[in-house]
Amino acid sequence: MANKRKTTQLDQQIDENLRRVYADAAQEPVPDRFAKLLEQLRARGDEEQPKPSEDQL
Amino acid sequence: MKTDTETHPDPRDELVTHLPAMRAFATSLTRNAAAADDLVQDAVVKAWSNFDKFQPGTNLRAWLFTILRNTYYSLYRKRRREVEDPDGKMAGQLSEKPAHDGHLAMADFRVAFTKLTDEQREVLILIGAEGFSYEEAAVMCGCAVGTVKSRTNRARKRLAELMHIDDEDQLEMTDAATMAVVMGKPAA
Repeated sequence: MANKRKTTQLDQQIDENLRRVYADAAQEPVPDRFAKLLEQLRARGDEEQPKPSEDQL
Repeated sequence: MKTDTETHPDPRDELVTHLPAMRAFATSLTRNAAAADDLVQDAVVKAWSNFDKFQPGTNLRAWLFTILRNTYYSLYRKRRREVEDPDGKMAGQLSEKPAHDGHLAMADFRVAFTKLTDEQREVLILIGAEGFSYEEAAVMCGCAVGTVKSRTNRARKRLAELMHIDDEDQLEMTDAATMAVVMGKPAA
């Protein structure tokens, strides 16, 4: 019983740490390459109708 | 069926807001920053060409994460064995950025985390960090809810072991100290 409760407490603490590590990682600025990538994907989508053969990435 | 832009925002516009989380999730899986960004890029490209299959109004992050983890398991896991360092790099990188208090304990935690299996890291991020339900995570991982639960439990247990707080009797005696270690805070 007591052990079970403490394990749960421990789980919560682990999750707390996980969230902290994860939040740190998610706070990093997103590199420019992703803005460029989205731009490319949008541009490609806009001219999708003419021909879908453009495969340069 | 077209995306109903009247009621739901275009997921193509929303995608950008999920990039930081996708990168964090990818980093947890690959344990390597460069590989993580390649993985996110592949997942974004894949998502983009599949947006017609996305159900407007459903959880976009869950959908993106599913694509990301599928991409990881189909492409990156294999590739990584050939190329990469395992434990060291990510742990080293991460511990360069200590939390203000108790950074040693946090560094331990980060190192221990990188030693878990791919599946263990995955469920801990989905359940523990992102807060998805067991049911949601099961759908995302393509496995049974029970599998996700037992995987999560084993992952937590393993983390505790790696951080040398495996013995429950000991845990009872050193509760405050344990709490301090796990919380990354001073005991007082």
